[in-house]
Amino acid sequence: MAVADIYDAVINYDDEEICALVEAEISAGTDVSVILQDGIVAALDEIGQMFSQGTVFVPEMLMAAGTAQAALGILKPLLVKSGAKPKGTIVIGTVKGDLHDIGKNLVAMMLEGAGFRLVDLGTDVDPQVLLGSLQENDADILALSSLLTTSLPEMERAVATVIEARASFNRKFKVMVGGPPVSQEFADKIGADGYGIDATAAVNLARQLVLT
Amino acid sequence: MGWTHRDRILAALNHEMADRVPMDLGGAEFTSLTYPAYEKLKVHLGLEHETKLMSIINSVAIPDESVLQLFDIDTRCVLPGAYEGGCDRWPDENVHVDIFDVTWRRSVGTDDVHFIHVDGPFYEGTPTVAAVEAFDWPDPNNPGLLKGVSERVRQIKASGDYAICLYLPGGVLHRGYAMRGFETFLKDLYKNRDFVCRLMDKLADFWVGVAENVMRAVGPENVDVVFMGEDLGTQNGSMFDPDAIYAHLIKPHHRRMVETVKSDADARVCFHCCGSAYHFIDHLIDIGVDALNPVQVTAKNMEPERLKAEFGERISFWGGINTQRILPHGTPDEVRAETRRIIDILGRDGGYILNPVHNIQPEVPSENVVAMFNEGRTYPYRRKAAW
Repeated sequence: MAVADIYDAVINYDDEEICALVEAEISAGTDVSVILQDGIVAALDEIGQMFSQGTVFVPEMLMAAGTAQAALGILKPLLVKSGAKPKGTIVIGTVKGDLHDIGKNLVAMMLEGAGFRLVDLGTDVDPQVLLGSLQENDADILALSSLLTTSLPEMERAVATVIEARASFNRKFKVMVGGPPVSQEFADKIGADGYGIDATAAVNLARQLVLT
Repeated sequence: MGWTHRDRILAALNHEMADRVPMDLGGAEFTSLTYPAYEKLKVHLGLEHETKLMSIINSVAIPDESVLQLFDIDTRCVLPGAYEGGCDRWPDENVHVDIFDVTWRRSVGTDDVHFIHVDGPFYEGTPTVAAVEAFDWPDPNNPGLLKGVSERVRQIKASGDYAICLYLPGGVLHRGYAMRGFETFLKDLYKNRDFVCRLMDKLADFWVGVAENVMRAVGPENVDVVFMGEDLGTQNGSMFDPDAIYAHLIKPHHRRMVETVKSDADARVCFHCCGSAYHFIDHLIDIGVDALNPVQVTAKNMEPERLKAEFGERISFWGGINTQRILPHGTPDEVRAETRRIIDILGRDGGYILNPVHNIQPEVPSENVVAMFNEGRTYPYRRKAAW
């Protein structure tokens, strides 16, 4: 038994075994941060890379993220108790007028699996609600999604609204955007701090954004 | 020779060139305009008539005959009638429950007026094969499904020699996602396979039953194209493993569906698959699909040059005019240039029907819609000798 078994459980989408493995590892005295980093985060990085390369697909990503979430259910309270800080807090949502959440959910699960604290506001989110949540959670990043070309103007409005309000925030959160009709060019045009083409890219981007 | 509308479409599907590129608008629920785009277009064209909807859920308009004639569109659509009875209901104007007991909801106060499924009969827990068997399945012999079908065919035939496109909605994935929930359905393909396979069996049975009845009502000799489809791709790749999952679990249903509509009719099949369809195209060719729609050129591996080179001799392309960038954000000149570019690439030696990538979205300027179809109507095909 080792952290490697937890890694393997995520890679093999074994959401039944993972909880017992995590419990056993904790009982053995392994640091919960190590279990998170070497067991969960590293395995999701591996799956994420395979997804970007086109060797695994949406069901595999969902199963891996689901397996990781089962483990996180046990690890999260212990991480809080140990005083370990999350990598950052991310407020995520789909822009106003857009009810699509498949891509957004996948990104949220992968970010959570990467050690971020996630506040998921769901779909069809008003810019004022985004602002309220960023304030309340002292968030580091706002992640916005859109599937429809029709809701791109809403994304532009939302980004403009939050960036204007950001000046008055103590923590200068970063804004990242994604979704099928979104591009790097569009992200630059509307003043977002970053764009991720898929869930894997979103995780890498969030890691960079919390460093800058 | 004088080309009829029907001849143009059939020539393209036979990989031959006609007098101009054939054009579709409203041949199916995914080759039309969204309701807001249609309302805008009517004003732009100075036309007044009541807008009929092909789908309330997807907010898709049925283009009026006046619009189709103005653009010189070569297709005319036949749809099954509305199912009578069942659990179909509207708790309020923004919530719909369909005959599969799926609840659909739309966002209010925005341009996007289409509905998304939010609940279904198998959303919760780990459903079993027995639960699928126990479900009160809709009846493919429901008389409502045939209402108005043969009248519509007579009306089309009386108005001109058009390619008659029969659109048969549904399939095994879209309805499966709606009944089980998208994420859970995809995971079930690995984790609860017996259930999900039985669910797809039942959905295929319903689709095939409806198809047989509606084909009979249309008259097999009258059907030129049957539209079917479901999304197998995402923007950046395949939704699921094209071989381990699609070929083994889903393709047999699609093969059965294609064989059903081809068994007693000389119909061509146009299969709709959004996103990156690339890794599924050989499978679709293998089951007898004649044309791929909507040819989402902005998705991964879906560059028109690549598609034409790799698959162009074995499948036709139906769509391809960029709805994610150029139609909504380009100028009419850019739309015309893109239309010519796509005709030059995908229309070489036939094998191409002009249509946007999916329904024309609410924010697309009407000038761009007009520019696309006018360019299609007037742009001379480049003959083989010119290449």
